[in-house]
Amino acid sequence: MRTGHFKESYGELVALTDSSVTRAWVGLLVVALLLLPLVAGNYGLSLATAAMITVVGAVGLNLLTGMTGLISVGQSGFLAIGAYTNALLLADYKWPLLASLPASGIVAGVLSLLVGVPSLRLKGLYLAITTLAFAFIVNHVILYAEGLTHGPNGVFLPNASLLGIDVSRDRPLYFLVLAVTILVVLAVLNIKRTRIGRAFLAIRDHDIAARVMGVDLVRYKLLAFVISSFLVGIAGALLSLQIRFVNVDVFGLILSIEALAVIILGGLGSTAGAILGAVFLSMLPELIRIAFSTFGSTQSVTYTTYVYEIRGIAYGVVIVVFLRFKPDGLIGLWRDVRRYWTNWPLAY
Amino acid sequence: MTDLLAIEDVTKRFGGLRAVGGVSFTVKAGSITSLIGPNGAGKTTLFNLISAVLRPTSGSIRFDGHEVTRLPTYALARLGMARTFQNLAVFKHETVVDNLLVGLHTRLRTDPISAAIFLGRARREEIQARERVEEIIEFLEIEDLRDKAVGTLSYGLQKRVELGRALAIGPKLLLLDEMVSGMNQEEREDIARFVLDLRDELGLTVLMVEHDMGIVMDISDHVCVMNHGEKIAEGPPAAVSVDPHVIEAYLGSRRAA
Ligand SMILES: Nc1ncnc2c1ncn2[C@@H]1O[C@H](COP(=O)(O)OP(=O)(O)O)[C@@H](O)[C@H]1O
Ligand SMILES: [Mg+2]
Repeated sequence: MRTGHFKESYGELVALTDSSVTRAWVGLLVVALLLLPLVAGNYGLSLATAAMITVVGAVGLNLLTGMTGLISVGQSGFLAIGAYTNALLLADYKWPLLASLPASGIVAGVLSLLVGVPSLRLKGLYLAITTLAFAFIVNHVILYAEGLTHGPNGVFLPNASLLGIDVSRDRPLYFLVLAVTILVVLAVLNIKRTRIGRAFLAIRDHDIAARVMGVDLVRYKLLAFVISSFLVGIAGALLSLQIRFVNVDVFGLILSIEALAVIILGGLGSTAGAILGAVFLSMLPELIRIAFSTFGSTQSVTYTTYVYEIRGIAYGVVIVVFLRFKPDGLIGLWRDVRRYWTNWPLAY
Repeated sequence: MTDLLAIEDVTKRFGGLRAVGGVSFTVKAGSITSLIGPNGAGKTTLFNLISAVLRPTSGSIRFDGHEVTRLPTYALARLGMARTFQNLAVFKHETVVDNLLVGLHTRLRTDPISAAIFLGRARREEIQARERVEEIIEFLEIEDLRDKAVGTLSYGLQKRVELGRALAIGPKLLLLDEMVSGMNQEEREDIARFVLDLRDELGLTVLMVEHDMGIVMDISDHVCVMNHGEKIAEGPPAAVSVDPHVIEAYLGSRRAA
């Protein structure tokens, strides 16, 4: 048993993890992700790419909803803004990807102020309602501001390259998305271990106590919202690179609901949970598809006809089941399992 | 001794209810002042007014030379005011260390970008913050609890963490609202000792709402008594305890209860 603890230095105390086991696993995971293109085909690679893009979006949403306790049901709006910013800057304004990618996040972050400034002074569900309205407005603007956004025609992305490498091909795109995902996860974990992340958690757990501790509520809620929207915007830009054609239909409101499902499934507030949830739910449609096809061709047809309905139902079921039976999500499940095995054979 | 806190004719109404009515008193720098009175007397409401959690309906509150009546709540921590709550207000999902670190919020500078990168300054600042928190952990004798989620601790220990969090602010004035209620005798004695140490060694000024008359009589320099939102007596503990108004207020409330 560890009682209290004795660290070599305070430097270790502020490290991301003090467990060499965790470090080893994370190292292994990164190596496996680096080697994946050697073994996976194009289909597998594009699934993995999509999953990592979901991870970026989920980690961004989790910073807002899981860490700060603010609910946004309109993050699909910021995903759309990120995707369109990237697509239009590349296609119409011939920006290099190195500039258009961060610009996508920045535009989403700046526009989030438009929603955040008026609604975050108010308590409760105002943010949820305003973000919902905002997502509608974004879709509307995309459709009707044809001069800027190509309206209903959507935008085809040209072949983009980064540092001379053509990232419209599967492998380079995979590596780009992997790099961005790692940076985003690290950045969020870092923020979490500073006064900023602690202010977010304090607001979520007890907003009056947070105020008394000197946290300016409006300012930090706004900051959480801007950072979250920035990250979701980046996810949108990555998404546009993968799908190569952006169109308003991609960014339906259901995406916001799916995003909430991801972080609830993962375990609200936990970054590792958001990652697990994102990977699991990205793979879920694939699992359902495989399940349907193993039951023969008629079911396969049913699946392709009702693919959106089936996915919607599956997400709904996942949300309800986890909220009811496992509110701390996949990460909670993982902790239980780990506790079980550390205590084994003296398990309870 | 100078006045660290001066409350002047402060009134707070909730709709038709006057929770605090025309209360005035001062808290001398370096003193331990107790605020006592039966339940519902308006003590917690007064604390909320002093700490700017609520705005007074009328009256003024001066703290350390600043008029704080109209300041936003978050500004008071930086001026050096800290408090605990009658009902626990810890961040229960976070560890003891993280709770205490939140108390250091106003002493830290890290901006979002250096936080995301976490090299150099941000890291150095975190290390210093941890060192500071370690001092508080030692002072409160909670070394074994550092990494425990506060919600999993006993009531008395959660209160102790809340005290630690308030101390992390580095306050001049510490407001304690019924710190020891719900604690056992040993825990109560610990808290009384901490409060005395804070005053004697760090020069903190303490204003506490307290029902434990043993502690009030033992450690306060000055006692204020409230009933029905008004101040009914004030003075040294010995004088207040024999004041007929005070006895009447307490007996009256006993009889009613
Ligand atoms: N936020 C509030 N809204 C309405 N009434 C309140 C509020 N806070 C306190 N009160 C009322 O004010 C009176 C004083 O309460 P309080 O300050 O908590 O007393 P004490 O701390 O001395 O027991 C009580 O009658 C209480 O019901
Ligand atoms: Mg009270």
